Amino acid sequence: MPTQIISVLVEDEAGSLTRMSGMFSRRGINIHSLTVSPSEKEGMSRMTIVTTGDEREIEKVEKQLNKLIEIVKVNILDKNTSVVRDLCLLKVYADKENRAEVIEIANAFKSNIVDISIRTITLEIAADPRDIDRFVELMKNFGIKELFRTGVTAISRDVEKKSGG
Amino acid sequence: MIEELKGTEIIIKCLKEENVKNIFGFPGGQLIPLYDRLYDETDIRSILVRHEQGAAHAADGYARASGDPGVCMATSGPGATNLVTGLLNATMDSIPVVAFTAQVPTKAIGTDAFQEADTFGITMPITKHNFLVKSTDMLSWTIKGAFKIANTGRKGAVVIDLPNDVQQKTSKEYYRGEIKFTGYNPNIVPNPLQLKRIAQKLVEAERPLILAGGGVIQANASDDLRTLAEYLGAGVATTLMGKGVIPENHPLSLGMVGMHGRLCANKMINNCDVLLAIGCRFSDRATGWSLESFAPDAIKIHCDIDSSELNKNILVDFPLVGDAKLVIRDLIKFIKKYEDVKKDTNIWGKRVNQLHNMCEECEVVKCKGDSLTPEVIIKEINKFLDDNAIVTTEVGQNQMFAAHYYVTKKPRQFISSGGLGTMGFGFPAAIGAKVAKPEKQVLDIAGDGSFIMVCQELATAMTENIPVVVAILNNSYLGMVRQWQELFWDKRYSKTKLGTIPDFVKLAESFGAYGERVEKVSDIKNSLKNAFDSGVVSVLDFKIESETNILPMVPPGGKIDEMIGVERCRHK
Repeated sequence: MPTQIISVLVEDEAGSLTRMSGMFSRRGINIHSLTVSPSEKEGMSRMTIVTTGDEREIEKVEKQLNKLIEIVKVNILDKNTSVVRDLCLLKVYADKENRAEVIEIANAFKSNIVDISIRTITLEIAADPRDIDRFVELMKNFGIKELFRTGVTAISRDVEKKSGG
Repeated sequence: MIEELKGTEIIIKCLKEENVKNIFGFPGGQLIPLYDRLYDETDIRSILVRHEQGAAHAADGYARASGDPGVCMATSGPGATNLVTGLLNATMDSIPVVAFTAQVPTKAIGTDAFQEADTFGITMPITKHNFLVKSTDMLSWTIKGAFKIANTGRKGAVVIDLPNDVQQKTSKEYYRGEIKFTGYNPNIVPNPLQLKRIAQKLVEAERPLILAGGGVIQANASDDLRTLAEYLGAGVATTLMGKGVIPENHPLSLGMVGMHGRLCANKMINNCDVLLAIGCRFSDRATGWSLESFAPDAIKIHCDIDSSELNKNILVDFPLVGDAKLVIRDLIKFIKKYEDVKKDTNIWGKRVNQLHNMCEECEVVKCKGDSLTPEVIIKEINKFLDDNAIVTTEVGQNQMFAAHYYVTKKPRQFISSGGLGTMGFGFPAAIGAKVAKPEKQVLDIAGDGSFIMVCQELATAMTENIPVVVAILNNSYLGMVRQWQELFWDKRYSKTKLGTIPDFVKLAESFGAYGERVEKVSDIKNSLKNAFDSGVVSVLDFKIESETNILPMVPPGGKIDEMIGVERCRHK
């Protein structure tokens, strides 16, 4: 089932998060990840929801979301024309023996080292979620002590209009 | 800004501006402030029910009969939770109801205070929208907004949760004019291009059929629908909620469609070449179980005010968002432009009428001597009631007998719990309908199982002088479930035999109401007359055979036009 990213502009009212997520559970749709943050508009928040479903199911989700009074705008983001980011913090087991190797891979993924202890390294990576998936897979070889991901946030790219001739 | 007003004063001022004349409710500790204000009120009638669920159903029935929002109120905690069923009932059937619930004082919220419930959280998924008012300054904005949301677009229930201190504090804030919500713009103007395409399909159709739902009644578009049907020579089938859209004795009327629909309506669904569905949502009870075999060969058109209903259950060829009235009026306008290609609609119209009559014929039920059957009782009710009478129903066999055999003449005169199927709805809804239309005859076709759930409202009807008539089809069973057990569960009547049945006549009399037991066909007419002449709420206890079935029906898994129990019909 394809993953879909839904971007929702919502009025900053008490209960609007519950109302939105309640719609998903009531209609039997799973939320993969969810981020909520202030938007450029005062009094409005932006929610980025990742879910799975085919075109028809997502159309239903879009319509149901649009029915909620506090939701002002719903966008289904096209992955090809959007910038999609996820932030991951992970603590990997790394001692003298393999510390260099961990750092080498981290560098290759443009991941920052945010903390080092005798037995672990804490890394930070903000990237496309699929790149993070690959990064995490590699790090599993060293043993992951803790892993935190923020969930996806995304923004659509502005498509430059060709000047008419 | 206005002179400083107390919260309860602001509430009453708003209610008057919304033209509210009646409130159904039940007091409680946190609701004392508002009830105290109503004590001196002369323009708004406050009706005391005997259980909060009755208040919600009465407000619902009031709204269905009048077309205006119904208003109910209850105290915090158990009062509010008792409203829940009634509010979901209204929302499922798109009925405008505004409910005021009291709440513990704002400072006590979250402390598990006495009679505290998270009404805001509980009612969120069962209403169209809900509010928790945290400041008296926001009262007028919230109430006006609530009425707007309840009564526009696809209608529904809205809850306003009122903490005790919000009712009592004062404020100078008072919003005038229309309340706007950035995210709420019910799109009701239909797209003209799509309308044109639909009009063309309808004109080209050889066997057009209209399936009309409650949305047409909500939009007050019944007359327009009839005009459209007559213009096209199209048959009109309705959903349960659409009953009354077209007079059911009209030559083009086919009656109700669906699991317990009329055979002719169901057959026509699968024989038409263009199906125009307006203001309905293709509920599973209307479509039967197999969605693929619902109108398989027809070009399907679906017009609804709620875009999320389009392509939800049935994939259609032409979806259109819009208010039913605007849609139908514009369709008529467009179709008239096609006058030059207009064919003779008589042939198809005659065929529709022929089917209608055949259906009517096979429904003439031979009663066994003078003993009562539901069909005979309802046919007598048909004869007795005038064209303006309102009939409500409970849920179960009584409801389907009523839907099948009661001939509804006008919109807003058949009131039944469709989506939620709430037993105990009909009696309080009848009370609400009678309050809305005191000049009309109001009759609840009930079952003994349903009526006993809400019989305490006899006290409401007596105290408030609301003379409705309850006709109980008394079979001592939960008839519909028993019928399913008989047909599909090897007659294992698990807990559907009701055992001790109260003496409904004595029960009625104990409230001071009129009660009469009816056991013969020849007595039906007189008993109805006695009840309506009594001037008080009445209970007629019709003793029917205990194991009657409502047939025909579409069995589980069946296609809509393959009904069981049609043996007695000569045409199949």
